[in-house]
Amino acid sequence: MALPATKRRKLEHSGSEDESEGSFADFDDANGVQLDESDAEEDLADGSDVSMNGAEEVDNSEDLSDEEEEESDEGESTHKTEKQAPVAAITNGSKPHKRPATSLQDGVYTAETFKSNMFKLQVDELLEQIKPKYGRKEAPAENAMRTLKTIIEQIPSRDALPIPAAEKTLKSAGVTIPFPSPHPPKDALYKLQYERPASVNATGSYPLKTTTRAEDELSIDLVVTMPKALLQEKDYLNHRYFYKRAYYLACVAAGIKASKDHKFDLSFDCLNGNQLQPILVVRPSGNGDADDFSSSKSQIHILVTLPENIFPQNKLLPNSNCVRPKGGEDEASSKALPATPFYNNTLQSDANITAYLKLLHATASKADAFKDACILGRVWLKQRGFGSRLRKGGFGNFEWAAIMALLLQPNVGTGAQSLASGYSSYQLFKATLQFLSRGDLTKKPFIFQALNITVPKVETAPVVFDGPRGQNILFKMTPWSYSRLRLEAKATVDMLGESVFDQFDAAFILKTELSKYRYDATLEVPLAAFDLATIDESRDQRLRDVCRKIYNTLTSALTDRVKAISFTMPEEDVWSISSRRAHEKPGKSILVNIATDPANASRTVDHGPSAENKQDAAAFRKFWGEKAELRRFKDGSILESVVWSFKETSASVLEQIVSYVLKQHLGAQVAEQATFVSDAFAHLVTAGRIQGASGVAPFLPIMNAFSAMEKDIRDLEDLPLHLRHIRAADPQLRYASVDTPSAGHPPASVVLQFEGSGRWPDDLCAIQRTKIAFLLRLSELLSNLESGYVAHVGLENPSQPAQNQAFLDVTVSTGFTFRIRIYHDREVTLFERQLKDKTLDAPSRESAAASLALYKREFIQSPLHSQVLQTLSTRFPALSPAIRLTKQWFATHLLSPHLASELIELFVIRTFLQPHPWPVPSTATTGFLRTLAWISRWDWRHVPLVVDFSSTFSANPAELAKATSQGMKPEDLERLQTRFEAWRRIDPAMNRVVLFAATNLDEEGTTWTDKAQPEKVVAARLTALAKAATQAVRADEDRLLSHINAKGAAGKEALSPESLFITNVEEYDIVITINAKHTLKSSKKRKSEPHFKNLDLQKSTRSEAASTPLPQLFAQELLEVYGDAVLWFWDPLSLDRIVGLWNPVVTGQRSWKIKAGWNSEPIKKKDGVDIKANKMAIVNEIRRLGGDMIKGIVTKRSS
Amino acid sequence: MAPEPPAKSLKPKSTPKAVGDFTILPLTLPTLSGLPEHHQDAKHYLYIKAHEPSIPTADDERSLFLANIPIDATESNLRTLFADQLGGAMVESVEFDSSIPARTLHKRFKSSEGSREDAQQQRGKKRKRNHATEQAMIAEGVVEDEDSALPQLWHGALRRSGSGAVVVFVDKKSARGALKEVQKAVVQGRKVAWKSGETTTALGVDRYKSHTTLTYPSPSVLQSSINAYLTQFNALETLRNRHRKTARSVPDEEGFVTVTRGGRAGPARIAEAEKKQAELEERKKNNGVKDDFYRFQNREKRKEQEGLLKRRFEDDRRRVESMRERRGRVRPEA
Repeated sequence: MALPATKRRKLEHSGSEDESEGSFADFDDANGVQLDESDAEEDLADGSDVSMNGAEEVDNSEDLSDEEEEESDEGESTHKTEKQAPVAAITNGSKPHKRPATSLQDGVYTAETFKSNMFKLQVDELLEQIKPKYGRKEAPAENAMRTLKTIIEQIPSRDALPIPAAEKTLKSAGVTIPFPSPHPPKDALYKLQYERPASVNATGSYPLKTTTRAEDELSIDLVVTMPKALLQEKDYLNHRYFYKRAYYLACVAAGIKASKDHKFDLSFDCLNGNQLQPILVVRPSGNGDADDFSSSKSQIHILVTLPENIFPQNKLLPNSNCVRPKGGEDEASSKALPATPFYNNTLQSDANITAYLKLLHATASKADAFKDACILGRVWLKQRGFGSRLRKGGFGNFEWAAIMALLLQPNVGTGAQSLASGYSSYQLFKATLQFLSRGDLTKKPFIFQALNITVPKVETAPVVFDGPRGQNILFKMTPWSYSRLRLEAKATVDMLGESVFDQFDAAFILKTELSKYRYDATLEVPLAAFDLATIDESRDQRLRDVCRKIYNTLTSALTDRVKAISFTMPEEDVWSISSRRAHEKPGKSILVNIATDPANASRTVDHGPSAENKQDAAAFRKFWGEKAELRRFKDGSILESVVWSFKETSASVLEQIVSYVLKQHLGAQVAEQATFVSDAFAHLVTAGRIQGASGVAPFLPIMNAFSAMEKDIRDLEDLPLHLRHIRAADPQLRYASVDTPSAGHPPASVVLQFEGSGRWPDDLCAIQRTKIAFLLRLSELLSNLESGYVAHVGLENPSQPAQNQAFLDVTVSTGFTFRIRIYHDREVTLFERQLKDKTLDAPSRESAAASLALYKREFIQSPLHSQVLQTLSTRFPALSPAIRLTKQWFATHLLSPHLASELIELFVIRTFLQPHPWPVPSTATTGFLRTLAWISRWDWRHVPLVVDFSSTFSANPAELAKATSQGMKPEDLERLQTRFEAWRRIDPAMNRVVLFAATNLDEEGTTWTDKAQPEKVVAARLTALAKAATQAVRADEDRLLSHINAKGAAGKEALSPESLFITNVEEYDIVITINAKHTLKSSKKRKSEPHFKNLDLQKSTRSEAASTPLPQLFAQELLEVYGDAVLWFWDPLSLDRIVGLWNPVVTGQRSWKIKAGWNSEPIKKKDGVDIKANKMAIVNEIRRLGGDMIKGIVTKRSS
Repeated sequence: MAPEPPAKSLKPKSTPKAVGDFTILPLTLPTLSGLPEHHQDAKHYLYIKAHEPSIPTADDERSLFLANIPIDATESNLRTLFADQLGGAMVESVEFDSSIPARTLHKRFKSSEGSREDAQQQRGKKRKRNHATEQAMIAEGVVEDEDSALPQLWHGALRRSGSGAVVVFVDKKSARGALKEVQKAVVQGRKVAWKSGETTTALGVDRYKSHTTLTYPSPSVLQSSINAYLTQFNALETLRNRHRKTARSVPDEEGFVTVTRGGRAGPARIAEAEKKQAELEERKKNNGVKDDFYRFQNREKRKEQEGLLKRRFEDDRRRVESMRERRGRVRPEA
């Protein structure tokens, strides 16, 4: 059997007709003869075809070292045909993944055929993990298949009976015929009959070896071909074939059920949820006898198919009608009847089961990487929630494989470029995605090897018409599932095209179709709202129509507010073979997921057509009903329009629209029962919901105040030096502070730089004093202006005379306060010089190093970071709210003191700049949840955080042109990786650098994290908290799924957003409660106060700059006093308590030491004295230090 | 000092009375509200011994070394402790190991002759004594005196948890007497109470409120301190320049003459030097032999690239392997 395989290879470049002829012959052989042979094991595993080839591969996967055989096979073929040599060489190179050990040779090849080495190696790993071994585990299922085959072949024939009689006979056998709807007429002239099947074969992905173990349950398809004798030429009309098929299936079911020796659990289902094609699902009986295949974790599907070429192909083209209205069954009128593409295609798909198996087999043996590419496609589809079932989108593994196989065929006539058989699995995968994402197949069908195919108007599915088999492969798809497929394919193609980051995880590992991560809003409509149950006959059709209506309504109502709308449908259940197909369980619902466009989603006015355009205007009014109004706009135009209200507290614009149009077009009942959720977490921060087109609106007052101040300073004439620039260096000035700044806010840091001058002293300490002089002068000048400036010089860093010594707090008339520090670029040089100066003593040089790091951070990186974030925030409307929400989360979990504000911002920015596999988040909620999900996955011990800002500036190169030259390159990433690895080598215990976070503008990687900010325990806690939160979100996702399937989720509450923002202080050793007098009011309380309170505040704080809250000062002193003996945590936003953890490493009992670094208590021991932390005395000390600020201290009793 | 031998225990749960040279003095802590019940009888432990530094100084004889002092220890409350409860010895001064906010840190040169005076030993008042030498030692700025120092930001300092202090008594006798008294108190099990404060070093809310006020000193105070500082700095700078000039002509032990600032033409800016360097390299690149001139160069380049490719691949493979070790299997998320 190896010979035909070789032959096929050789024929690769010849016409496909011959080739498929050749393989057809093989098949027929195999079908006829081989199944009866005693060694049926391999045959079944192999789909009864090309057994040699299959056997060889089984060997291969079982025994990986068995390379010899393959080699010799190659050798053999080259012997036989010299011509083949180059082909073999190519295939050899492009399928390196088949070898157990990857050699350098592969590395060279992968440069072109794979995205990167890393990508390829991971793909290899993945494939190896998920391919079934076809070994011991699958054996029971294969056994069961053989048994079933034997049973089916021995089922006695049944005489032809009219329909009612047939139903009755089977009823007595305990089987109800699964007739599709509409139910066949009782008075039908034709009869139903059963005869021994023409063949029984395994089909589908299992024998093709393109199945995966990742799925919960393996399903193996067994196809039973009806004998030709049972069918007549006209059976394709009016469901006649389907009735016969249903009867045939029922007979098979009855036969298996009647088998005394073998027990299986039988039920009916529909093939891909298509009610025309019932199938028999065989599950293990679970009783542990010889036929029990529970251990294989699989189920067997018995499909019924018709032999090939029974019906005339031309009658089943998409544009012909095969379901005639009653009474008019003549040919002539068929022209005028509406086409029935779905019916026709379903019929064809039944006829083509074997044909496609052959096609796929032939392709698999022609293109070596085909199977792997199928598996990759399978994983990709699964992660995106696609499946062959109608309700899952109608695009599954089969459609993937078939399209890829078609693309691998030499293509005559059409322009589409077919794939080359020498492609690697990755290339095939990517090219297939490219094909899917490229054109709109609903508008421009892809027609393969066929002429004069017209697509009927009623067809709403995309079209990939496979000429030789006469079928539209995508006939099961809906417009929305297709648009989703295109979007996903496009997203993946884009991310695979990115050169810097390895997108393996995003492509294959991450579960993408999770409504909380992928979508911004969900609409849940219970099926009960549609009264589907009343019309049982056509409920599938009804449901499809309803979905279409919802889809069309939402699409035309929401226009550019949304980017994607997708449906999650409840799953259908299998039903018992003894009963009719049951009604759908009550309580199921449809989930409509909506991805919004943040720039448009909250627009309050929709412009319609102009009033003069009568026809369009009428249509507009018809659609919007009473909401439509005629308005005159600023530019003088008079347009039909709809207006929505925006208030922070009321429902979002999106929700208003959705509930309105549902009511308008689907009835009040639907609108009432539907529940709409969007941006569920946004209310947790003030102004968390995006207003208008940007998320930065609440910051406009402070930004305006800042630029006004900048202008005023620039205009000061008596300043000794000219201003070069004044730059923001504070979360409040980069839209990233949790609370939106209003009068009385903490001062916002800014950095001021003067024009260069030679008159500065060349000494760090003297520079600091000179800066104070400048600040005093500036303060004086500003106070003299009549714009109401109040300015005070404040001091800082009292023990480090070389560091910045002073700042100027300027409060402007609107109540905003800015903290100005002067940046003098000479300081960096001076610090660097000290660092290298060998005449300085060690402590001085250490101090210089620390000061330099601080200096770079405060005066260089922070302004740069602020500038970048300002730009990004205007570019991504959801960025600012997402950052603020994430910071709120860090604060409530008391982690904020340990992580630099900029670091948290980088976490969120990463989510926006590397959003794969999803699009850029459009709401605070998605941005926040995805950031948490990423943190929970982030293996910071081994992986650096790298953010590439530059990708975003390509559109606007003028800005930051100096700082960012070009986008990051793989070399840059490589360099950062090396730097990271160096840090881990220097400091493997991670005492100094725990998190490594670099950007293209800051290659240090430790700017925000040096000096153990956060410490290892804190980082571990962060991961644990993020994991817990992510799990809760996933659990809620599962709850939602079982809820729409009405599967006993009643007891479970939906996840409340607040629950992720509750922290438990019980696990801390020390809990210091702060007197309520000194805590900060939470932002929410402040919001609820009457608005004019702000004005009062303004007056009272005008004269004095806002100061650091006292508990904050107290907490900072605790840090200094206790060093690393106690880890302190607090929420800087509320400051209602400060909690501490004893550092067990430091404060455990140890031998006597004078300078332990913590308050100790001596303990008598046999041979001397030990010490341990004197926890009670420490608590007493803290109480003394805090004085009246402390309400009480609670300690954990265990110690 | 010979400490008391660990004597007969007075209480059933005894704490040791001495460790090494140190006598362990338990201090009763004030009773405060808002603390857990079982914390009320908390004790603080001071470790006290005669001061015997490795590099002896004149004051050693009349000094005691205290380890593990409370975080709110100040000169005055230690003085009161000895005066009121430990025999009334007169304390002259106290030098603390640590303070919060930390003491002003000046960068200094490695001292050649004064190296015995280690930076850590230069505490408090000593500094004033050798103001002149001090000025020569530091690498930047000036050592501030009362005029040129910036105003304090905190009323009083805190101590790091578990730090130490040297208590200097008026004379040798007082020091001896104080230690005796301590030992007696320990043996007798006498209650010695720790009294944290008086008004000048108030803790709690007042401390932080005062800090907030102190952070913004009056402009006139600031201005005068800056003026004083810059005057002193200019004077010192002249001195330093003179020093540099001499340094310029003195070769070091390896025979190199240090290049310092202040030559006739003034120093070259680093930026300019770098520019020249870059120019030179550019010239070299243009004039030098092109690296793809000879065949062997091409061959080597190719080889190198291949090697690089190989190395990269090996690196990646290692990375993936370690990833597998860490994460287990590569499996699609369910």
